Amino acid sequence: MKLWLSLLMGLKEIAAHKFRSGLTMLGIILGVASLLTTFALTAGIAHGMRDFMTQIGGIEKIEVGRQDPPEEQSSFAEISPGPTVADAEIIQRRAPLVNYISPVSSLQNAALTRGNQTFRAVVYGCWPDFFFINKHELDAGRHLSQIDLDEACHVCLIGHTILEKLWPGKKPDDALGQSYLINGRPFTVIGVFKLYEREDDKMRRENGLVRPAVSKNASNRGRGWDPFFAKNTSVQVPITTMFYDYKSANVVNLIDQGPNYKLDQLVFQVNDVAHFQDAIEQARTLLTVTHRGIEDFSFITREEWFDSMERSIKSTRISGGLIAIISLIVGGIGITNIMLASITERIREIGVRRAIGAKGRDIFLQIIVESSVIGICGGVLGLAASAGLMRLLATLTESENTPIVEPGAILISFSFAVAIGVLSGFYPAIKASRLDPIEALRYG
Amino acid sequence: MALIELREVTKRYRVGEQEIVALDGIDLDIAQGEYAAIIGPSGSGKSTLMHLLGCLDTPSTGRMMIDGIDASRVGGNRLSELRNAKIGFVFQSFNLLPKFNVLQNVELPMIYAGIGGAERKRRALIAIERVGLSNRVKNTPLQLSGGQMQRVAIARAIVNDPRIIFADEPTGNLDSTTGESILALFQELSAQGRTIVLVTHDADIAAHTPRRIEMRDGKIVGDTQRNL
Repeated sequence: MKLWLSLLMGLKEIAAHKFRSGLTMLGIILGVASLLTTFALTAGIAHGMRDFMTQIGGIEKIEVGRQDPPEEQSSFAEISPGPTVADAEIIQRRAPLVNYISPVSSLQNAALTRGNQTFRAVVYGCWPDFFFINKHELDAGRHLSQIDLDEACHVCLIGHTILEKLWPGKKPDDALGQSYLINGRPFTVIGVFKLYEREDDKMRRENGLVRPAVSKNASNRGRGWDPFFAKNTSVQVPITTMFYDYKSANVVNLIDQGPNYKLDQLVFQVNDVAHFQDAIEQARTLLTVTHRGIEDFSFITREEWFDSMERSIKSTRISGGLIAIISLIVGGIGITNIMLASITERIREIGVRRAIGAKGRDIFLQIIVESSVIGICGGVLGLAASAGLMRLLATLTESENTPIVEPGAILISFSFAVAIGVLSGFYPAIKASRLDPIEALRYG
Repeated sequence: MALIELREVTKRYRVGEQEIVALDGIDLDIAQGEYAAIIGPSGSGKSTLMHLLGCLDTPSTGRMMIDGIDASRVGGNRLSELRNAKIGFVFQSFNLLPKFNVLQNVELPMIYAGIGGAERKRRALIAIERVGLSNRVKNTPLQLSGGQMQRVAIARAIVNDPRIIFADEPTGNLDSTTGESILALFQELSAQGRTIVLVTHDADIAAHTPRRIEMRDGKIVGDTQRNL
């Protein structure tokens, strides 16, 4: 018997019992919908996390931190000059596995003033490389240059939020060449960063929906520190300017403690993540020289953090998927149940079909096709339902991450529905195909 | 050679501990074009015999040739093919599929024979015309009277042009007038040269057929030929 004829018969059978078939399908519909929704939600979370990772410089960013020297070195630890620009210079010259490096000396909570507008932000004194290590992008203007550094120019790059605060309503291009004060000293804007935002914030902005007050987020965004906010409110100036203008004197109780040219941070980016450890070893060797053998520094990497993020993404996906698959299996059992009831109802029909020449496998095929059609229809409707489910979830919970529907996830969810449809028809189909024609004809 | 040849055919069932001999050494020949009735009280083995002849079952021992094919030792799929190609069934309770219309019911055997759509429809319409229901093609069985349903069943039985038609109490669910008309239809089909075997417990019906095979306790106890 031709397959499309069995398909037609399956559809007919389903159409004849619309309510029953619909109820049976519901299990599959919900299963597929929750499977695809789980996939989309975890994909959204994963995307958000990766976005976050990129915003903070990615795995290739390494920070050199301070640490207490080991006990045996503590009595003469003063011979180390501590973190200085010399550290950055030697790594820049001698460590080929390091791509970008920048020393950082910063002003926390600096007052940015223009006219009567004041805004508080972090100002980073750094090298031009700092821009690349932190994966900034320019919306307008130019990078810091070596000349800016050599001449200690009063120039700066500013984040998008600072532009909005100091020059409300102005386009990034119009802010170039404008001046404002950082802790009372004038600086000229040479570049404006792109607006960094999450996928869902971007969508909201493009749809004309403004999230209330971008600035108040840092505390209530759940993750605590928000890299998007931090980057949008940062200022970069040449580190030389930072030293001369703000670090040459350190007045405590009216007494000048002298200049403070120690670095707050030393950050670099490795060439190639495959040689991550080698790059760290190169840097370690060089820093041991500049620090005169005192191990008062350490390397802060994100490897473990990123790994654990990836792991948690994976386990969320697996556990969510598993629950959804369980509901699909429950749906499948529902199909099996209904098919069993349906063949009991149709024992006579099966007997007639056998008597007029249907083979066991024709009956088998017919039942399998019916259950598969339920699976396929349920799968299609389930995919549609998941769109609704995602919309419902989006309105019920303000999620930071928009669900992302990947084609692969659709394929997997749908194939699961079809597979469940076929498998759940197996037992009833075998049972039906093994019915003795004589017994079946006599039945009922 | 006869169309159907049974030699020393027995059929035994096991019900629990007990063995039941439903057919006990049957020898029977039915020739091409014969119109016969198998008659006997319930439990005489006539239904079992019809199931064997109809290739719904195989004998426990003995040999059964149908149209030159040894049907006594073949597998399920081959039996299905034999039924489909060589045998037409008419049942007491019509056994039409209630969800299909008349045309679709008549087409069903050809679907399993793998006959294509257009040819299937053409042949089904001829068979329906043959039983006089051309005006009821699109009706479902539930919209038909008992006699009409039995006519549809007969159309379904003849549509694959089988060698033998088996009718199991074909008038059992019909009033006597309608029953007469169905028997008249069989008569016509027989006159056209079809081989027809009726199975019945009713001597009045058996009186319509030239040949009368009487059964009792799994044995053939009488086989008479008359000229009508």
